[in-house]
Amino acid sequence: MGNPEIDIVISKTGKVTVEVKGAKGPRCLEYAELIKEIVGHEESRQLTEEYYAPDGDVRIDTKVRAKSG
Amino acid sequence: MSAIIVLTPLVVSSWPVIAAAVMGAAAGMGFSVHGPELHEEPTRRKKVTTEFENSEVVADAMAAGQKLILTKGDLTVEVFRDERGRCSVCVSGTGHSDRELKKIGEEVVGRITQQFIYNKVVTELKQRKGQVLEEEVLADQSVRVRVRL
Repeated sequence: MGNPEIDIVISKTGKVTVEVKGAKGPRCLEYAELIKEIVGHEESRQLTEEYYAPDGDVRIDTKVRAKSG
Repeated sequence: MSAIIVLTPLVVSSWPVIAAAVMGAAAGMGFSVHGPELHEEPTRRKKVTTEFENSEVVADAMAAGQKLILTKGDLTVEVFRDERGRCSVCVSGTGHSDRELKKIGEEVVGRITQQFIYNKVVTELKQRKGQVLEEEVLADQSVRVRVRL
């Protein structure tokens, strides 16, 4: 996976919404914390499916064996 | 996606940094910017002051006279460091109700905050070798910045 991307939306009242993409698990929160440090106080946080995904590549091999008989 | 957080901005900086945000926001809102020397004719204009909720202008050698004046039509907006060290705006104009002036003040505060946070985020992420991939102004006047770290 490449470097993570951060999508930052600054509303016309100055409120900031940050979405971290491409970083799994606690790593994504490290990036969110970085933006929080720059901007101000945290109002709310929502963790998505990717947060709970294992940090690293996972390969799943599926074998289907035909049953003879 | 992996995490979405919503943040309330803090506007804490020295006057020159805040002044840069004021000038950027003023340009975007069609205001002309003047220094504190702009002389205003004494008239019976209504005035409404709005304070930035989470702000602090860090005192420095230039603490005195920290003020910028924005004008557009009959509106005058003073942006200044108040005696408590907070950033405030005072809107005055003829032919406007207090409510209208208050609304204009809140809009100006919001846009200055937006510009301040934009400048700060982009500067600090670039210092951390971040790469700005995309920037756009959305239909609701929000600013969207996409950064790769």
